[in-house]
Amino acid sequence: MHYLRRIIKSITELNFRKSYYKIYIAIAATLFILIILNLILGSVIIPPYELLASLTGSDAPQYVTDILWNFRIPKVITALMAGVALSVCGLQMQTLFRNPLADPFILGISSGAGLGVALFVMGSSAFGVKLAGTIFFNLGIAAAAWGGAAAITLLILLVSHRLRENSSLLIFGIMIGSVTSAIITLIQYFSSSSELKAFVTWTMGSFSGLTSGQIWIMSMLVIPGLVMSIYNIKELNILLQGEAYAKSLGLNLERTRRRILIATTLLAGSVTAFCGPIGFIGIAVPHIARLFFRNADHKVLVPATALTGAAIMVFTDMVAQLPGQSGVIPINTVSALIGVPVILFIIMKSKFT
Amino acid sequence: MNQANLILKEISLGYDKDIYTNISASAEAGEMVALIGPNGIGKSTLLKSISSIQHFRSGEISVNSRSIREYAHNELSSIISFVPSQSPRAANLSVFDMVSSGCFNRTNWLGEANESDKRLVLETLDRVGLEGFADRDSSRLSDGEFQRAAIARSLVQQSVIMLLDEPTAFLDIENKLVITRLLGKLAKEEHRCIIFSTHDLQLAIKLCDRIWLMGREKFTEGRPDELIENGAFDTMFKDSNLKFDRTLYTFV
Repeated sequence: MHYLRRIIKSITELNFRKSYYKIYIAIAATLFILIILNLILGSVIIPPYELLASLTGSDAPQYVTDILWNFRIPKVITALMAGVALSVCGLQMQTLFRNPLADPFILGISSGAGLGVALFVMGSSAFGVKLAGTIFFNLGIAAAAWGGAAAITLLILLVSHRLRENSSLLIFGIMIGSVTSAIITLIQYFSSSSELKAFVTWTMGSFSGLTSGQIWIMSMLVIPGLVMSIYNIKELNILLQGEAYAKSLGLNLERTRRRILIATTLLAGSVTAFCGPIGFIGIAVPHIARLFFRNADHKVLVPATALTGAAIMVFTDMVAQLPGQSGVIPINTVSALIGVPVILFIIMKSKFT
Repeated sequence: MNQANLILKEISLGYDKDIYTNISASAEAGEMVALIGPNGIGKSTLLKSISSIQHFRSGEISVNSRSIREYAHNELSSIISFVPSQSPRAANLSVFDMVSSGCFNRTNWLGEANESDKRLVLETLDRVGLEGFADRDSSRLSDGEFQRAAIARSLVQQSVIMLLDEPTAFLDIENKLVITRLLGKLAKEEHRCIIFSTHDLQLAIKLCDRIWLMGREKFTEGRPDELIENGAFDTMFKDSNLKFDRTLYTFV
C-alpha cells in the first residue's frame, strides 16, 4: 500500500513541475458525469433515481435492472477500456515515430485484424458452417481479429532488427497495412452479400453485445498492455529527444521498440478484436491531452491521455446511442463527425489565445 | 571521473563500406579538441562511432586502455556523452525534463531523478548560464539557449568525455563564442575531455588544445601551432585553389 502510494505520488506530484491535480480531477469528474449520463440515456431513458436504486441494489423496476446490467454497464465498461487503450496506444506510436499523425493502427494492426475477420467470415461459410448470429460467431471474429493483429506485429518484430531507423519501421508498417488491405478487398470481391455485411458491420465498430466473459478476456489483455505502457514511460521520454541521443544514453532501441509494439498489440489489437477498428480516438486524444496539460513528460501524459480517452469514448458512445431514439449509429461515424470538429476547434482556439 | 585517455587506433569508418580509413588519434581529460574537415568527410560518423551510436568497420577505440566494445552500452554512457548536431525539439518539454534525461541510467523505473540529481540538474543549468530556465518550454528556446541546454543535458551524464557534433553551427558570432568558451571552461575547470566538430577554423586554432584534422588525403592530429607549422591545413581541401593563411588562421 505504501509502495502504491509512492508510485501514485511520483506519477502525479513531481517536484520542480506544476501540479496537475486540478486538471486530473476536472477530467475525472467529467468522465464520471459522462458515465452516469451514458447509463441514463439510450433508446430507453432511465430516470436517475431508478438508476441509483438499481445500482445500490434496492428496489428498481425489472426493465431498469435488465437494461442496466445486461446492456449499458457492460457497454460503458467496454467503451472505457477502448478509450483508455486506444489513446495510450496512440500516444506511444506518436512518440516512437515522433510523428503527430501516427495512430495505433499505423503499423497495420487494424488491417491485420481486418484480414483475420475477413478470412474468418469467408472461411466459416466456405466450409458450410452456419455461424452467423451464434455466440461462437462473435468469439470467432474476436479471435480471428486478434490473431490477425498479432500476426502483423510478429511480422514487424521479425524484420525490425533489420530496420535501423524508426522511420524505416514506419514505412514498413504502412506498406504491410496496404498489402493487407488489398488482400481484404480481394476477399470482399469474392464474398457473398451476407458475408460482406458481416464484415462491414465489424468495421463500423460497436461496444454493445459483449458478454461479461468477453469483457473479462478483453480486460485480461488490455490491463497487461497498460502496465507495459507505464513501464515504457522512461524510454518514451528519451525517444522524444531523438534516436541518436537515445542511443548515446545506452538505450537499447530495438528492445524499446519491441516493448512498445507488444504493448500496442495488447491494447489496440484487443480493442479492435472485440469492438472493431475504432478510428480517430487514438490519433486525436494524445493531442487533446497535450493541449490540456502542456507537458511532454509521459509521466504526466500517459495518465492524462488515459483519462481523456475514456471520457471522449464514453461521450462518443452516448451520442451513437441516439438518446430517445430506437436506432443506433456506428461508433466510427460519430467519432469522426463529432470528434473532428471538436479537435479542430480546440486546436484553432489554442493557437489564437 | 577525472581520468580519461581516449585512444583511436587505425579506425576505418563506415557501415558496409569504408568511408574514411586510418584514423589514429588521442585525447585526454582537460583537453578541448576540435574536429575539422570538409563537409561529408565523416566527422559526424567518427563522433557517433566513438560514442557507440554507430558501428565502425575496423580498428580500435579505447578509453583508459579498455576497448569501447567491451563496455556495456549504459556503462559507456557514463564515460562518453554525445550532443547531436540538431537535437529534435519536443514541444512542451520543459528545460528541466530535457536536461534531466542525462540522468537516464541513474533514474528509477519511471525515469524520475533522485534528489541529488535534481539538484545537479539545477546547478548545471546555472553553470551553462541558464539560471531560472528550468520551467521554460525547451522547444521555444533560441538556438543558442537550446544548445546550452543540450550541453547541460550532456554534463549531467557526468561523463569525462563529451562529444559534440557541430555545436556552433547555426549560431551567431556572439553565441558561437559563448558556447566555445563555455566548452573550454568545462575542459579546464572540470577536467573533462571535450571533442567537437566545427567549421570555424579560427576559433578552433585560437581556443583548442588539439586539432583532429580529417583531410581529403589523410587524417592528422596535433597542436594547432604544430599543424600550422607543418602545413597540414594546406592538404585539407585537395585539388582546390584555397590557400591557408598562417596569420589569419583561415582560408583565402
